[in-house]
Amino acid sequence: MKTFEQKWTAWVDGELTGKELAEFEAALPDKAAAEAEKRDAQKLGALLKQELGADVLSNEEFFSHQLRERLARESAAPQRPVGRSTWWTVRRLAWSGAVSLAIFVVSTLFVLRENNPGEQSQYLTQILNARVDPAVSPNATISIFDSKDDRVTVLWVEGLQSLPADYAAK
Amino acid sequence: MHKQRLIFTIVFALVMSATVSLPAAQMVWSGLVIAENVPEPAPMPPELTRIGQTLKELFGYNQFEVIGQSTKTLRTGQEDWLASSKYFGLHVDARGETPVGYLVDLKLYKEKDLLLETETKLSKRSPLVIKGPLVGSGQLLLVLMVQ
Repeated sequence: MKTFEQKWTAWVDGELTGKELAEFEAALPDKAAAEAEKRDAQKLGALLKQELGADVLSNEEFFSHQLRERLARESAAPQRPVGRSTWWTVRRLAWSGAVSLAIFVVSTLFVLRENNPGEQSQYLTQILNARVDPAVSPNATISIFDSKDDRVTVLWVEGLQSLPADYAAK
Repeated sequence: MHKQRLIFTIVFALVMSATVSLPAAQMVWSGLVIAENVPEPAPMPPELTRIGQTLKELFGYNQFEVIGQSTKTLRTGQEDWLASSKYFGLHVDARGETPVGYLVDLKLYKEKDLLLETETKLSKRSPLVIKGPLVGSGQLLLVLMVQ
């Protein structure tokens, strides 16, 4: 059982025929107004079809269109990465490793240069100053030299007061 | 996220390179040594084995006896200590680290008399030997070395 709205739509679209058409038109309270409204609706429909004018695909074209889209998706799928994407590509890893190594080498050279200005004496003990009490040892003299073999630095003091053997006690 | 990883990589490299130069606690041995010539010399004390041959060649003695010693672990480089025998005292006052060792003030006392004082940059790789007074038929030596 169609509702009035369904019959109205069918009537406007010209799809009512025979007895059903006669009964519907007889039921209309103002047939002239309804005919005018039908014409307006048909004009509007024609205008929309003209302006928006989307080509209606046939079943065959629609199926073909769907198939082409599916083929396009399937052919594109293997190009996408399968696993989780990551920033660490092999190229970037190699570059990061090279940069890290370069920083390490530069820092190491910097530290070594700070600690090794190129003079061997930096590795030897240095006597900055030395003195003996002139009141106790007025003739004392001081000299400094290095033994290169063991890198021993020697402060050689001559002229200190000699002491008896008792002073060798532990 | 990418920047954080890059920064982590750089910081890791810097930390690794900085670790190479980190200072560690060092032990310093200081000793009062009597060197003399005897018919049957005693073996070289283990503390002096490293420089034993040099001591013999430099001073011409065949026996070296430790009459006083002290071993100090330097952590801050500001420590001071005393190595003493019955009559001598060697006061060692570390006054800070240098790039290759420690800045050290030394004072040799004979009982209460100050015989000698010196300021040195003690290198970790270079022992210091001080020729002191003659004692009997021998010689007093002061030895300071980072072990």
